Amino acid sequence: MYKASAVFIGILIAIMVSFNGVLSSFTDRYVSILIIHIVGLISVIIVLILKKEKFKIPKKIPFYLFSGGFLGIFVVFLNNLCFNSIGASLTLSLSIFGQLVLACFIDHYGFFGLNIYKFKKKKIIGFLMVVSGLVTMIIY
Amino acid sequence: MIYIISGILCGCITIVAMIANSHLAKIIGVFKSTLMNFVVGLISTILLMILVKKSVDLSFSSYGNIPLWAFLGGLVGVVVVAGSNIVIPKIPTIYTTLMIFIGQLFTGILIDYLRVGFISKGKIIGGLLILLGIIYNSNVDKKELII
Repeated sequence: MYKASAVFIGILIAIMVSFNGVLSSFTDRYVSILIIHIVGLISVIIVLILKKEKFKIPKKIPFYLFSGGFLGIFVVFLNNLCFNSIGASLTLSLSIFGQLVLACFIDHYGFFGLNIYKFKKKKIIGFLMVVSGLVTMIIY
Repeated sequence: MIYIISGILCGCITIVAMIANSHLAKIIGVFKSTLMNFVVGLISTILLMILVKKSVDLSFSSYGNIPLWAFLGGLVGVVVVAGSNIVIPKIPTIYTTLMIFIGQLFTGILIDYLRVGFISKGKIIGGLLILLGIIYNSNVDKKELII
């Protein structure tokens, strides 16, 4: 049952990318990112208030851990750029491909303090299938 | 071609951002890390706009014709974080990417259909090939985990 609920998260991600893409087609690349972050910020503040969580952030947190938000603006920017030129399904598929490849790379070397999972050569077959799928999507 | 590279790059950045966020979430909690995520993102965006000397047109007329739902991407993003927080710990990791991708792919195809008015066969066949590839690699990982 929970496996199916992960499908729902995928649906939401696709909707999010489309909302953001449509917004950026009406405004421009900077203003859309600004609006998306303001709306997101307000939403998460409401969640925190509803959950009655304190806003206190411990001081001793390595600076680089906050880089996610900085990287996020490039994710939104690239998503918006691609959505309006190559459509939703191809944008999402390319992004998944990028995630799979980099995740294998990170796992293989154990970057960012994560456990090492050596790359298995057999997985090249799977990646070839994914690439052929992407090529089919792009050509037709 | 530039868009294809941008799409792949987008996925790469997403993974790094997700890892940073998950490390942060372990220390301060999922929603506070999401809060910091948006705060840092917002400050960075404002700095970037100052850097490129971008002026912001705040007159209502320029926003009046945008459908209301188009503003809700940030809200959906928070729902995604909340949902992932509930669901992902409860299912085996090897299924997560697969299941999330299935949802993304079919919604993506549906959205393209709603915007353009037709579904190309290439999108469906290509999507299925990508799915097969992900399933194949999940199985390779699965065998390793059992042994």
